[in-house]
Amino acid sequence: MTKILLRDRLDDCISRWHAAGLDVIGPVSKNNISQFDTIQKAGELDFGIILPDRTLKDLFFPQTEPMFRYRIGKQQIDTEEYLPPGRQRIVFGARPCDVSAMAIDDPLFGWDYKDTYWFKRRTETVIVTIACTSADEFCMCTSLKLAPDSPQGSDILLRPLEGNRGWLVEELTERGRDAFSLIEGLLENATGDPLPLAVVPVKFDLDACREWLQNPENFESHFWKEISMRCIGCGTCTFLCPTCHCFDFQDEGDTYTGIRRKNWDSCSFALFTMHTSGHNPRSTQSARWRQRIMHKFNYFPGKFSLNSCSGCGRCTRECPVDMGITETLQEITKLSK
Amino acid sequence: MSIQEQYRKRAAELLASGEVKIIIGYGAGSTPDRRRALFIRSADDASLLHVDAACDANLSGYLVSEGLLSDRKKVGIFLRPEGIRSVNILAAESQLDPLQIVIIGFNVENGSLAALQGSGVNDFSSLISTLKESRSTPEEQALIEKIEGMTPEERFAFWQAEFSKCIKCYACRQVCPMCYCKRCIVDNNQPQWVHTSSHTLGNFEWNLVRAFHLSGRCVECGGCDRACPVNIPLRLINRRMAQEVLDAFDHFSGMSHTQEPVLASFKKDDPETFIL
Ligand code: SF4
Ligand code: SF4
Ligand code: SF4
Ligand code: SF4
Repeated sequence: MTKILLRDRLDDCISRWHAAGLDVIGPVSKNNISQFDTIQKAGELDFGIILPDRTLKDLFFPQTEPMFRYRIGKQQIDTEEYLPPGRQRIVFGARPCDVSAMAIDDPLFGWDYKDTYWFKRRTETVIVTIACTSADEFCMCTSLKLAPDSPQGSDILLRPLEGNRGWLVEELTERGRDAFSLIEGLLENATGDPLPLAVVPVKFDLDACREWLQNPENFESHFWKEISMRCIGCGTCTFLCPTCHCFDFQDEGDTYTGIRRKNWDSCSFALFTMHTSGHNPRSTQSARWRQRIMHKFNYFPGKFSLNSCSGCGRCTRECPVDMGITETLQEITKLSK
Repeated sequence: MSIQEQYRKRAAELLASGEVKIIIGYGAGSTPDRRRALFIRSADDASLLHVDAACDANLSGYLVSEGLLSDRKKVGIFLRPEGIRSVNILAAESQLDPLQIVIIGFNVENGSLAALQGSGVNDFSSLISTLKESRSTPEEQALIEKIEGMTPEERFAFWQAEFSKCIKCYACRQVCPMCYCKRCIVDNNQPQWVHTSSHTLGNFEWNLVRAFHLSGRCVECGGCDRACPVNIPLRLINRRMAQEVLDAFDHFSGMSHTQEPVLASFKKDDPETFIL
């Protein structure tokens, strides 16, 4: 016997989670944008969208975050550390690509230095993922060897049932079981037929791409210039990528007092690798685009045995000049044949 | 022959005769309704060019890509009237020599494509004058009026809600033909004039700086508005500032390649209504 969560019980579940002190967060469409937001009622959730415009990483790695306040005195430097607010949270209705992306970034944030901010939020958050039953033309989880029901990173996986009535529940982790024990009694012991998963065609040959990227001869290939000529070097594809994780430190204030913040940064920006001397080792947009691809599909897998991409498709969906990693990897697949 | 066929032929001729070294146009995009910038160097590739109502990008920004014009050779480019105005401004601001630019002009009126006659910027002066006299009323007129009718507090709240969405991706800047500065003021850190952090205050600062720097220079091509990944209605700011310079200085940006930049020039009879 499997468990079923009925949609019309969701408000009761939310009340139980609230009563247990959890913030409930989910995809919300408001003010002409869809993103993860704290909710009070199930009605605020937008289950109609395939994927929110903004990613799940916003919840773990916000675009700007204060780290500490400093005051430089004559004798000493005083600092006051800021940490994330420390609320227990449950995210309801994330998608497998976004959630896999969090699992992809875990080893990165825990590699030589354990990122306090990332892991504090990770351990305080339960993620309930809903498998995808529809996809758009940009979705490409399958090209990354993931699937519309990939479990990576999820604590609970829900499979939508016929007629929008609810979801089949798969408890994947201890944390997920704990959160769902809070709604014991609201779940039905029944089985049902889950809706068929979204059909997501494979768009490129990942292994062939990796091989091509690993070949040192291709580093200086003219291909990089051709493919990136129209790239305008904005931060859209990195900031809206759930796995992109680069950041910059900025001190806000004057010489003696201020706040040090951790802000998103992007390898697409000319300033990203600019040295104090004025020399820039990645002085052209093509070198920057190559870095983005190399990092995701060559260096990152080399280090962590994972691709730094979960196939959400946002980099193509949102690029102002219709670029994106899909086209590049499709072209590389052709080159490698 | 369709306009697209005529224009492919013209592009092929320009390349085959050696008059231009490259054509900057539009090609097919990743979906049937998307068009993307396409750079063509051989007449054989002219068949890849598309011209239709979906070609909405203002491609003129690519003209000032580093090194493109430095060999003095000519470049062909597909432009809508706004793009032609951008070329005029770039010329007026000494960023390019208009004689190097061969314009393949087109317009989209009520969803249908129209060819524009001419190839040098001066060939389009009367068209641009007409545009000044008949500034189209944007679909958002109702929203603009609503915002104008707000109290300062309400208007502040409206923009606060919009700017709090900004992620400082700078797509609005990167896509804009007028944002060619080698180092944008927000990228300066000695001293740091503008907060780099993308909190609401920093986002306000960024969008205000941009609105002022684009006043009298923006041609309302809509590029930034379409590029913004979080859907901030930047067109409303552009429209307001364009109206402002039109009312105060009778300035319609990009009228000619010798037009004086309105906020960087001085006339004895300039109105001083805003100087306290
Ligand atoms: S690929 Fe697109 S989104 Fe990414 S930096 Fe280039 S223009 Fe911006
Ligand atoms: S690289 Fe593109 S498709 Fe891959 S996770 Fe990032 S935004 Fe999504
Ligand atoms: S500010 Fe926006 S609308 Fe104006 S010229 Fe630049 S991209 Fe076009
Ligand atoms: S494009 Fe939009 S989100 Fe990006 S910096 Fe400009 S206003 Fe902000």
